[in-house]
Amino acid sequence: MTTRQRTTITVNGTRYEREVEPRLSLADFLRHELHLGGTHVGCEHGVCGVCTVLIDGCSARSCLTLAVQADGAEVTTVEGLRDRESGRLHPIQQAFIDAHGLQCGFCTPGFLMTTLELLRDNPEPSDDEIREALGGNLCRCTGYQSIVESVRLAASRLRG
Amino acid sequence: MIRDQLPTSQVRYVGREVTRIEDPGLVAGSTQFIDNLALPGMLHCAILRSPHPHARIIRVNANPALALDGVVAVLTPEDVRRLANPALTAPAGWGTHCLATDKVRFVGEPVAAVAATSRHIAEDALELIEVEYEPLPPVATAAEALADGAPLLFEQHGSNVIQARVYDWGEVDRVFAEADQVVRSSFRWNRVGANPTETFGCICQWDLADNSLSCYGSYQVPSFWGLARSISLNLPANKVRVISQPMGGAFGGKGGARATDIAALLSRKAGGRPVKYIEDRMEYLLAGFGQSWDRHYEAALALTADGTMTGLRVKLIDDQGATAEGYGTISVAKPLAAFTGNYRIEAARYDTTLVVTNRAPTAPYRGYGPPPHFLVLESLVDLAARQLGVDPAELRRRNYIGKEQFPYTIPSGNEYDSGDYAAVLDKALALAEYPALRRRQAEARTAGRLVGISVVSTVEPGVFDWNAYATVGVQGVGVPEGVRVVVDILGNVTVVVGFNLQGQGQYTIAAQVVADFFGLELGAVRVTTAPTDLAPPHFGQGGSRLGVAVSSAVLGACRKLEADFRRVTAHLLGVPLDEIELMDGRFRMKSRPDAGMSLAEVAGLMLGRSDLLPPGMEPNPQASCVWTAPGRNAPDDQGRCRSYLTAANATHVVMVEIDRDTGHTEILKYVVVDDCGTRLNPAMVDGQIQGAIAQGVGAALYEEYVYDGQANPLVTTFVDYLMPTIHEVPRTERDFVVTPSPTTAFGAKGCGEGALHTTPAAVICAVNDALAPLGVALTETPASPQRVWRLLRQAGLG
Ligand code: FES
Ligand code: FES
Repeated sequence: MTTRQRTTITVNGTRYEREVEPRLSLADFLRHELHLGGTHVGCEHGVCGVCTVLIDGCSARSCLTLAVQADGAEVTTVEGLRDRESGRLHPIQQAFIDAHGLQCGFCTPGFLMTTLELLRDNPEPSDDEIREALGGNLCRCTGYQSIVESVRLAASRLRG
Repeated sequence: MIRDQLPTSQVRYVGREVTRIEDPGLVAGSTQFIDNLALPGMLHCAILRSPHPHARIIRVNANPALALDGVVAVLTPEDVRRLANPALTAPAGWGTHCLATDKVRFVGEPVAAVAATSRHIAEDALELIEVEYEPLPPVATAAEALADGAPLLFEQHGSNVIQARVYDWGEVDRVFAEADQVVRSSFRWNRVGANPTETFGCICQWDLADNSLSCYGSYQVPSFWGLARSISLNLPANKVRVISQPMGGAFGGKGGARATDIAALLSRKAGGRPVKYIEDRMEYLLAGFGQSWDRHYEAALALTADGTMTGLRVKLIDDQGATAEGYGTISVAKPLAAFTGNYRIEAARYDTTLVVTNRAPTAPYRGYGPPPHFLVLESLVDLAARQLGVDPAELRRRNYIGKEQFPYTIPSGNEYDSGDYAAVLDKALALAEYPALRRRQAEARTAGRLVGISVVSTVEPGVFDWNAYATVGVQGVGVPEGVRVVVDILGNVTVVVGFNLQGQGQYTIAAQVVADFFGLELGAVRVTTAPTDLAPPHFGQGGSRLGVAVSSAVLGACRKLEADFRRVTAHLLGVPLDEIELMDGRFRMKSRPDAGMSLAEVAGLMLGRSDLLPPGMEPNPQASCVWTAPGRNAPDDQGRCRSYLTAANATHVVMVEIDRDTGHTEILKYVVVDDCGTRLNPAMVDGQIQGAIAQGVGAALYEEYVYDGQANPLVTTFVDYLMPTIHEVPRTERDFVVTPSPTTAFGAKGCGEGALHTTPAAVICAVNDALAPLGVALTETPASPQRVWRLLRQAGLG
């Protein structure tokens, strides 16, 4: 059948080299090859944003990206947010807890990664800018209002 | 009310907005959703599904699939006929096996399945399976199902009617005959559904040595699904173990009856290796347990000249889809718990017909039955207001059940516990600045804009009970929910429950009660779930009951512990039992509060110093409590009983604008005031409300499972099924009223389904208020641009 392809991807600072089938999605690679299960999949056709990760710093759908396409890339997932040494949560994660920005939490890793990108590029976003940035992430539980509040809280904490 | 229940001088957690103990794992991405789990030797399942809505199966040959490298087992209709029974349904006898055995009845129905060493290989193997079909004429709609000579889905029943039942409450014919005003309308509610972001998934392992089954998965009501599996798979119930994993939302029918049976049987055929099945979104949209409420209504409301509502008649034809596996009779019967909404309507009739068609089977969805019912009732109230020339808010107020009338028994039999509907309405109108809003609307209309306002009130039956459903074939009174509170030798407390995370935050509620009861920090209380064979009797999330049920059960268990711990303390201090009280975490002497013992000291003594215990006392610092709603009774022949324990209520005020050119509806203002009694954790209640509003907006404006005239589904991705994004869900303005429930420990009422009862009605009523000057009305959901645009055309616009 398919020949495997050598693929090297750096995830959350660790370099992984694997032989993978060309049809393997980056999401499945992260979840099932590397056992980084924090990146979830909700639709596998690019609509829900649940699978969002950062590829070379840009948010991307890991369900629509093949692992082989990410060869040589730096990927950041939700597992990369926490402080490695102390295990302390990232201020964005803490803000989602404090402002009740999640219910079932299945969509949350996608929102966190999108927020990470947003606040890096725009530390003081308006509500409309927050909504614009999160427009590609579905949440079936919260109705989004508390997510916007979480992002606002995270932004203010990150600004110090 | 909270204070009376808790032995503490200062309540720190119950009723407070505390952050959730569930959250650290969820934001860290470390919570073990089912697809994160793997067992040694695990195989992966893929399911071959029918491309036909209705066809006889002539032949299935799965052998070519077995030849593919990596394929370990296949499952065929043959196997299933031999090894399994048809699914449980309500009413009985309208179900099918997990794989179609004789014929397929909907597109997406499983026909064969494969277990292989990877999902990719399993899916490759599906292409090798040969199936020969003989297409049959499909039944695409409820009307076709009822037509003379219609093709039959279940030939043995001689009809496509699952159940037909008329309920009569009071003198309906008389009040309609004597009415000064009768308003009528038909309504069509199209299918929508739960669509949690996580689809269903499971890992099943059949232990061939002792013929037992373990099912790990996203099971919403674990013991219920376990029991159902024991029936479909011919196993004693104590040989089926369901291990519920945290769920990425559920909102109804999460539990994968068919998929679990398939994975279980594949495991059995694969020599007992575990088999994982993860439903993909396309499978969910096609044939997952996620389509609900396919309804055709004819309804009428009778009023006297002064605007007093006197009678309500509702005729419902409900398209259940291809089987009755979704317990749709419950969905149809649930409105009995709040049939006449917030109003003093004296008589009512409910005429129900449930049919099968070749659409996918329907399933429970948040609210279960009332959301479409309230669209009908509230739309009739608006029609009446328009006809009588009365403001819709005013007409409602005139007919509300008065706050002094509670407990109030409605014609369909349920007893509402408490409420103050006028206070909720007043607050909502004030928050919305209603008079100013109407002025804005008048100005907009003058300018030729299509702006509409609605004021809609509904009741949310809380705390589901089986007794509501005896008349539709589901027997029972009471829904037990058990917890076990365990104190270890060092005084650490764990609460064991029988359900898993789903998003509402019930672990936190359990911890709030324990922490306040024993004077602990919230974070020190651990809440964990047990498999069905180890957990106390339980049901889990469903029917807006778990917050009330869990808080009550935990309180009951804490009280039992308190009694035992006091006994130990009294014995040790050598004082009479009633001299010892629990206060702020210490078992102390009433006369000398400084003398006493901590929780840890008593627990340590119990487990480590049997010589110091009262004679005959068990060293057992744990207690179980199984709670069920008090005062429930069996229904009479018209379904009347005290069914749901609590009745929350809400009023929504909504302003919308319709684009004259495109028919697109935009929500300009959304105000919610609700009353669900004591709010055990206000932030979580708010989250339930806002989340349900999002789903309600979806149902009212965007979401629809569309079928063509041959019963072929046209919705297979999120590109076709339009889930509301952050741009579609309104920013709501919220406030609340608290009328504690006199029937629950803390005064809380069920509130999980909440706004989904109200939002669809509120949005559609606002749309119709916008359309009213044009002389057209929308009587079908959702109010998609196309549907509204057609009406605009009809009115000479667009
Ligand atoms: S899973 Fe990738 S967008 Fe939905
Ligand atoms: S929290 Fe459940 S989908 Fe967003």
